[in-house]
Amino acid sequence: MPLRPARVGRVGVIRAPVAKTAVVAAAVRPGPAPVAKTAVVAAAVTPGRVGRRRI
Amino acid sequence: MTEVPLDELGPVDYIVVEFPAGASSFTGEMAAELRALADSGTIRVIDVLILTKDADGTVEAAELSDIAELGELQAIEAELAELLAAEDVDNLAAAMEPGSTAGVLIWENLWAAPFASAVRRSGGQLIANGRIPIQAIIASIEAEQVTTTAGD
Repeated sequence: MPLRPARVGRVGVIRAPVAKTAVVAAAVRPGPAPVAKTAVVAAAVTPGRVGRRRI
Repeated sequence: MTEVPLDELGPVDYIVVEFPAGASSFTGEMAAELRALADSGTIRVIDVLILTKDADGTVEAAELSDIAELGELQAIEAELAELLAAEDVDNLAAAMEPGSTAGVLIWENLWAAPFASAVRRSGGQLIANGRIPIQAIIASIEAEQVTTTAGD
């Protein structure tokens, strides 16, 4: 399926090859289950909790 | 598409979301959430492309309109600005694994536009931006917890 003609011959906006983000590798590293990790982050970013960082 | 004066344009971001071969499960949930973001005025979808990379690395690009059943995306498709050029395709596909399919989404952060305009009017200019991956936050918190535990 070809792209629309309007896209051809135009200067692009993505100036360089996109690198795969390192997040993918970090997401599959061993450790607590993602759900547990999400709960930890949610707790950390919840305002007003003593001893927690606030973002 | 509705024309927006450049000095009122909000920050424009893009993502490339890869679906490894055999791992996609399209239920319409993504489309519904994207439509909700657009309908609420949080974002304006500027462009969408669907990329496929064959096992030999050959990349093909398709328009959103090439999808047979657009459903929730019908209204979004009608407003696309077609910002991406054909020469962008290979750059975007560079991150893809062979055999995968990816969706490219470009959007304007409408929620940030008034603040961005105010910054520009005040003489400010963006010199850095980025996203903190949730994994980085997790790693930071975990490291802090280890330090705290070791100090007990």
